[in-house]
Amino acid sequence: MIYLYTDKQDSGKWILQNDLYFNLYTSNERFTEDDRELIWKIDHAKLNKDKHIETKYGLGTIRNLSSGCKTILNIMKNPGKVVNANECGKNVLDILFSMEDISLYMTRPERIHIKDDVEICFNDTDIVTGSKGYEQWWSREYRRRELDDL
Amino acid sequence: MIYNTIKFDAAPFSYSLEFADRITLVRGDSATGKTYLYQILEDLRLLEEYKAIKLFNYKTEGFHDNLKKCRDKFIVIDNADLLLNNEDRRFINFDCSNQYMLFARNCDGLNLSQGSFMLLHENDYKVSLKRELVAV
Repeated sequence: MIYLYTDKQDSGKWILQNDLYFNLYTSNERFTEDDRELIWKIDHAKLNKDKHIETKYGLGTIRNLSSGCKTILNIMKNPGKVVNANECGKNVLDILFSMEDISLYMTRPERIHIKDDVEICFNDTDIVTGSKGYEQWWSREYRRRELDDL
Repeated sequence: MIYNTIKFDAAPFSYSLEFADRITLVRGDSATGKTYLYQILEDLRLLEEYKAIKLFNYKTEGFHDNLKKCRDKFIVIDNADLLLNNEDRRFINFDCSNQYMLFARNCDGLNLSQGSFMLLHENDYKVSLKRELVAV
């Protein structure tokens, strides 16, 4: 199940600023071979053991990863947290929607590849399945926002 | 428009950014070099030719107040989805003295044209803005 929240909450359980949270906390975690593969897949960055990275942009540290890559690492390293996915591009969202038991904050829909059997729970109330359910839920939500003049 | 084109070399890359609207929204996949471009602009803005460039990101203090003080600037906002509230979006729409390049995905509340939607495109170390196909 993927849990989506569309209204912001200021809670210690939420990560709203992914760059900041990653730079201060997640970057100090230990990174596994799976993490390294993910970093390569998204950023084409080679993560060295001393947390330096090599990319086409040059040498840097793990804090120079993209916001999208930092978001996905924040999710993986902080299970149970609701993580802001509003800054993620389609390449990262496609990966996120193939994951299990993650909680995301998203304020608008993106065109994402979602498998037919993926269950998504919106705001702890509505459960939908696959791309079709996802798109139908957002269509209803946008009609609601229009009626509420939001 | 403050700048129709911004051109510079930042080895190994060569940038040629052409703007078609007062507001440019740079979207696309993660890891296409948006924040890297922002960091280069931090140096470029120190040149006389590009002194109209004004930069904001999530580290900026007093973002909302400072944005409203800008006149005749080329404003670049990284992490714009985090920073822009509805009031900022209204300011951007109605204050025509500034030009904007927003690294943002959420276009709600902004007056945009088809020329506003761009992707950062890199080919053989040449970086440009490419129009994103969208229905406006």
